[in-house]
Amino acid sequence: MLELNNLNAGYGFLQVLWDVSLHVDDGEFVALVGPNGAGKSTTLKTISGLVKPASGEVNLNGSPIAGMEAHKISAERGLSYISESLNLFTGMSVHENLLLGAYIIEDRRKQRETQDFVYELFPRLKERSNQLAGTLSGGERKMLAIGRGIMSEPSMLLVDEPSLGLAPNLTMDVFHALETLRQSGVTILLVEQNVNTTLKITDRAYVLEQGQIVLEGPSKELLKNEHVRSAYLGV
Amino acid sequence: MQSVEAQTGYFPGFLRQLFSAAGLTLLATITVAIATFVIAGPFVLVNAIVTGGMWALMAAGLSLVFGVMNIVNFAHGEFFMVGTLVAYFVFTPLSEYLKANPSPLLAAVAPFAGILAALVVGAVLGVVIEKLVFLQLRKRTKEQWIMNSFLLTVGLSVILINGVQIVWGPDFKGITRYWDVPPIDVFGVTVSVDRAVVFILAMVTMGLFWFFLRRTRTGRAIRAVSQDETGALMMGIDMNRIQVLTLALSSALAALAGASLLFMFPSYPTVGLKPLYIAWYVVILVGMGNVAGALVGGFIVALLQTMTSYFIGPGWEDVIPTAFVMLILLVRPSGLFGSEVKGIHER
Repeated sequence: MLELNNLNAGYGFLQVLWDVSLHVDDGEFVALVGPNGAGKSTTLKTISGLVKPASGEVNLNGSPIAGMEAHKISAERGLSYISESLNLFTGMSVHENLLLGAYIIEDRRKQRETQDFVYELFPRLKERSNQLAGTLSGGERKMLAIGRGIMSEPSMLLVDEPSLGLAPNLTMDVFHALETLRQSGVTILLVEQNVNTTLKITDRAYVLEQGQIVLEGPSKELLKNEHVRSAYLGV
Repeated sequence: MQSVEAQTGYFPGFLRQLFSAAGLTLLATITVAIATFVIAGPFVLVNAIVTGGMWALMAAGLSLVFGVMNIVNFAHGEFFMVGTLVAYFVFTPLSEYLKANPSPLLAAVAPFAGILAALVVGAVLGVVIEKLVFLQLRKRTKEQWIMNSFLLTVGLSVILINGVQIVWGPDFKGITRYWDVPPIDVFGVTVSVDRAVVFILAMVTMGLFWFFLRRTRTGRAIRAVSQDETGALMMGIDMNRIQVLTLALSSALAALAGASLLFMFPSYPTVGLKPLYIAWYVVILVGMGNVAGALVGGFIVALLQTMTSYFIGPGWEDVIPTAFVMLILLVRPSGLFGSEVKGIHER
């Protein structure tokens, strides 16, 4: 489904990613973990088109998307990116945020169906549907960002640090929602710092350090890996 | 914090809104309007309402362009000027023709032809300027966008004013009235048909504009861009399309205002400067980028101006609103209605 080959990217003269290669197959739930500043978010931004790659390939469903404009990648290629800063429309209601999530879908009935699905996934959002997004709590914002991200019925979902700043029980809620999404057939690439939980729920994982992939493999095996255990799990 | 909650908790929702800055301003405005009506007579109030509607449209466009495109537009008045010019050149031949062969139907429709032509030309001019000027700048500038685009709009204003002066000359091109019919009687107040129609036009346009921004897919996308550009891109919203549309909409509204007020403001090259300053008073007064506030603010500033020129003297109508804006900014730096709902997690 998604394939990165020798991707180099960065901001201006600062190169962040060095020859990053990874792939996510259809229906897989893959994690990208690593320390602060390793380039995890940059990887997702480059895939979604917000950062232009210096060199290398990004293929989605077999066709190249590297260098394409961000709005075209999400509108034409079925990719949805849920950023770390969420980028919610804070002056609009929850309902309007969700409608904007379905901006590329013109069919009203389809919009409503997906919205019902989102409200089922996060009943809290339904209670607050007329409230301004800027007045929601941290956890509710995460839910709204994820809900808005899936309103476009993406086949590929990039999620950046959904657990950041959340209480542990809310974190679990968010992870459960991602699992539900995966079961409904969405392919997910998840960036996380919460390595322990992430490796327990994902199929495979990549470890990114200083802009390079240093480890990859099935999540269960990575949990037992010496390097991962000492650097990320603290055991 | 708790005490504030406890205090406001006793009031029902509408009372709480009434005591907010916006509510108090509205109350004060309405009180002043009624006082003006009683003391100065209805004519002053009618003038305030008629021009206020059009200032509101000017200010709303200005505010929208600032919010969506981050452009501090000092060429906005020139769209007003182009509107007056187009309306003059469309309406004058029609009224000449009408003198030769009178027709009541054509006489009723002719002014609308002029106003509609101004609207279309304004929109086209907006598209051309976005494609020729701002799009090019956007490709070349990363930092300092606000300053660079601001300077460009000032240059644009100079070019448009002098271009019009070279081609059509510096003389006044005005009309005495759009509809050559006796004034009508509204609740005992004599109002010229021109003023009544312009007021209705402003109200209808405001309603349509509001509906477009609030209820349509494209309008929602425009608001999304003004709130979070990256977020809008992530939703698949084509930024270029929204930017062209925003400038076209804003310039069309300004041209509409110019064309509608042709009977009060005869067309000449610098006719747009005064409306530009008024629109800026409004936008600064209610808060930058606040489109809804701008619609209300237009009436507030128009009322201030007509009152000043009636009670103090005609030369003072720019002084008092400016002083008022300064006073408001000292107390509320983000404008009267400026309320920013932004969470800790986003910023």
